[in-house]
Amino acid sequence: MSAQTGSAAQASRAQPVRYGSMSRSRRWALRWSYFFLVLFAAFFLLPPFYMLITSLKTSAEISAATNPWWVFSPTLENYIELLTTDQYLVFFRNSALVSLIVVTLTMVISVPAAFALSRMKFWGSATLATGVFLTYLVPETLLFIPLFKIFAEVRNLTGIELINNWWVLLILYPTLTVPFCTWIMIGYFASIPKELDEAALIDGATWMQTLTKIFIPVALPGLIAATIFAFTVSWAQFLYPLAFTTSTDQLVLPVGIVTTLIKGDVFNWGQIMTGALLGAAPPLVIYAFLMDYYIAGLTAGATKG
Amino acid sequence: MSQTAQASSVAVPRRTMRQWLKRPSTIAFLMTLPLILLIGLLVLYPAGYAIHLATLNKGMTRFVGFGNFEFLFGRETFWMVVKQSCIFAITAVVFKAIIGFVVAHFVHNIPSKGQRKWRGMLLVPWVIPPAMSTLAWLWLFDPSYSAFNWVLAQFGADPVPWTGDAYWARFSVILVNIWIGSPFFMIMYLAALKSVPDQLYEAALIDGANWWQRIWYITLPMMRNIIAITALFSLIVTFANFDIVRILTAGGPLDLTHVFATWSFLVGIESGDIPLGASVSLFMMPFLAIAAVIILRDVVKRGSQA
Amino acid sequence: MKRPGKKTTRRQFLGTTAAVSAAALTAPYIRTAHAAGKLTVGLWDHWVPGANDATRTLIEEWAAREKVEVSIDFITSQGRKILLTQAAEAQARSGHDILAFSTWYPAQYAEQLEPLNDVVEPLIAQNGAVNGTVEYLGKVDGKWLGVPATVGSQMKGPCSRIDLLKKHADIDIQAIYPAGAEPNDKDWNLDTFMRAAKACHAGGNPFGIGLGVTSDSVDSVGAFFHAFGAKLVDEKGDIAVKSDQVRAAMAYMKELGPLLAPDAPAWDDASNNKWLVSGRGAMIMNPPSAWAVAKRDAPQIAEQCWSHGFPSGPAGRFGPFLPYFWGVWNFSSNKSAAKSLLTHLSQESSAYKMVEASGGYDIPAFANLTKFDTWSKVEPPMGTLFHYPDPYHHQVLSIAAAPAPHKIAVQIYAQGVMPKMVVRHMQGEDIERTLSWAESELEGFMRT
Repeated sequence: MSAQTGSAAQASRAQPVRYGSMSRSRRWALRWSYFFLVLFAAFFLLPPFYMLITSLKTSAEISAATNPWWVFSPTLENYIELLTTDQYLVFFRNSALVSLIVVTLTMVISVPAAFALSRMKFWGSATLATGVFLTYLVPETLLFIPLFKIFAEVRNLTGIELINNWWVLLILYPTLTVPFCTWIMIGYFASIPKELDEAALIDGATWMQTLTKIFIPVALPGLIAATIFAFTVSWAQFLYPLAFTTSTDQLVLPVGIVTTLIKGDVFNWGQIMTGALLGAAPPLVIYAFLMDYYIAGLTAGATKG
Repeated sequence: MSQTAQASSVAVPRRTMRQWLKRPSTIAFLMTLPLILLIGLLVLYPAGYAIHLATLNKGMTRFVGFGNFEFLFGRETFWMVVKQSCIFAITAVVFKAIIGFVVAHFVHNIPSKGQRKWRGMLLVPWVIPPAMSTLAWLWLFDPSYSAFNWVLAQFGADPVPWTGDAYWARFSVILVNIWIGSPFFMIMYLAALKSVPDQLYEAALIDGANWWQRIWYITLPMMRNIIAITALFSLIVTFANFDIVRILTAGGPLDLTHVFATWSFLVGIESGDIPLGASVSLFMMPFLAIAAVIILRDVVKRGSQA
Repeated sequence: MKRPGKKTTRRQFLGTTAAVSAAALTAPYIRTAHAAGKLTVGLWDHWVPGANDATRTLIEEWAAREKVEVSIDFITSQGRKILLTQAAEAQARSGHDILAFSTWYPAQYAEQLEPLNDVVEPLIAQNGAVNGTVEYLGKVDGKWLGVPATVGSQMKGPCSRIDLLKKHADIDIQAIYPAGAEPNDKDWNLDTFMRAAKACHAGGNPFGIGLGVTSDSVDSVGAFFHAFGAKLVDEKGDIAVKSDQVRAAMAYMKELGPLLAPDAPAWDDASNNKWLVSGRGAMIMNPPSAWAVAKRDAPQIAEQCWSHGFPSGPAGRFGPFLPYFWGVWNFSSNKSAAKSLLTHLSQESSAYKMVEASGGYDIPAFANLTKFDTWSKVEPPMGTLFHYPDPYHHQVLSIAAAPAPHKIAVQIYAQGVMPKMVVRHMQGEDIERTLSWAESELEGFMRT
């Protein structure tokens, strides 16, 4: 690797003439990049922006057919209402607990599995690797009725009531997060040079040590990408919590917002938009925080590689 | 002699046990066991039960084999749903993949200190729970209050029936799906782009390759696995999408935007025909499974070569 | 349970306890005894602020008296949450003891619901008869599968703008439906209605009747079909779609459709509310939730709203009625307590409190309970809801897809077959082709 870098560096030093044209085309590429990024950002941010506008309006202003893109009498009423009502704080707590625990569970299950599947060939490992991914073929809409039956059997056998308890989501969400995370990790582990773990094994490291001391640090970017994925998926889930939880104190945020702010044919638009924005805030904050790690992980991986 | 033999005969089973535990394949099996249990108990077993349901009659009292599928194949609406699901999923995934790739490329192009801000902004659609962001779109498309139509009206244009006309309604549900899904592609591609060694590009530049050749000969081949997995994953979940259509159009007008999940819900839960609903959900599975196996085999093969 | 009973509810409670105690013993498991045990109740989440609290207070009153530990969940109908909960609990055979069921769903879960004749029959004797739609939906094979609920039961008759009808169509709706008096509605028929629709369309304030597939649209279109005596499937389960009545109804709807709000085929249950509140429509078909939202957000529009009866057609005057029921699962472990609570909630005083708390939205199913003063005293304008519960019984309270057998009707209703027929024909499809399409859909609903 270092030899390659060296030769590339030598090559670029050997031909200083091209350097000017490179930087000019680079400048143009940069301009185009910004131009398109602004365009896409506008598309991506338009609905959230509209949510923000709507969340600052009173219901009377929302009902009046005035300029929808402007707030004439801004109010924080919706935010105050949502942030001071106990039930929304409960939704928040449930969502946070569920997502954090599910992310942990997902990592605990998928990282060793991915390591085993990418490095330790065993009977059926190839089939299993493919099979894991195929679980997504089974849609949630197909599973919830059988799951009701299964949970009823569990209750009859053990007396544990799973339905209408938020923690039932802890065993359901991993079915949605684990397969993809396992696949991301298989991909990253596969890109790690085999010499690395072979050397470690020869030096007497156990498989577990190879995983924790070598693979996890090197694959940190992949790990963080998988974490981000798992967190977002758990945070956003709608159908399973809608089907499996009913009581207000058991609901997670998306279901809580939708089922308590829309009643029959009456929509509280201001509060729905507020709830959606507040619901998007924690993942955004976490992303902002994890992004740095993500970049750090990338540079670390690059220097090591 | 006899003493050592005795000692070893005691030690042998213990050693084999320990050896068995030390064998790579055993360790590997133990490492994958939680995964196997999770999928077996919470996906495969209920899926098997769902298949069993799909072979029962409406009252769930009698085994009818493929009877439900035979019935479905004779229904005009079912074939409409098949067609619409394909249009919905394929169009959405293609656009998500293209937009995700393009955006990832541009983000990768700009100086790294500004990247964080852009990535943050571009990720927003994926971060808002879809059930809620779709409500925002519903409100933007609303027949009485559409903010888009208000803008159009300022320019003297006619209001667009965002969810009222079949083609506009299809456009709208696909648009929302693209909006929600593109950032996911972007972040996956971005991670992949970062893993392409810069030296390869530098070398290509020196060889006089233009930007298109660099993408075609370096970026795409290096990202092949990530592109394949992301697109496959997205295709599968888009085929199973429920929230967007359910909230925006509920399948209307005239069932012209129904997809498998929404129609199966309508038939199974709302109209009280659970076996038929299960059959609708199952229909696409074999086709996607074949596609998935082909793509994944390719990915695995390339993965093991690397 | 140990104290001697003095009230009716108590006697019934004791009577039924003996009958069901045997069943309770064989139930999958018995919850911890707490005097008369525990009870979980899942009710329809009312959109009117405070309406849930009135029900909660009533239940807690009862619970304190009967020493029953009650937990209450208010479940929204939005996102079909309540349907999902029903399906879930029926499959798992566990969940709430009492659950709210709208329209077709008591019949849907007939095998899993406890017959409640011993609750409903005394209530009918006490509170008067129930209307035909409630009986059709709630009583299957002689068994009452749910107690007709006050909470959530609603009419979806017209709610008109007094000023706009006067301005565009020269109709004084308050003269036809005067507050506090019997309606003078002999000329309020489909022809008058069509004339008004044309005038209001021409005047830029079209009627807001949805042609989508959600219940508001289905209920309104169904009432028009009923007005022509048009049935898709008759009571014997035979397809009757190719009839002159259906053709007449379709011809009427084809003429009416283009006069409605432009996006009508895409409307959901909230669209008509928004149409009224935005001030664009001269009439919608909805219970008073739209008016109540207008009262909060656009009072100048609410002041011009007037709820009234449906126009009459060749077959009569049919008002769309959407009833709710309270059902008890047969796997409930505390049926006796559930029945006692349902009796308590159906007393006149309870019904009055619910109607009052809902601002007149809820309509009790029993004949003697439709004369509360709530409807004459809510405002603005004074008397706006007087005719909402049909106090003079000028209408046949009906539900779309009746009188087809329930398991067929629920599909007609849930899949919005009638509005779809209207939209197809309205968009230019030949009537015979539309009818053939409908016939083929209906054949698909005959599955057993």
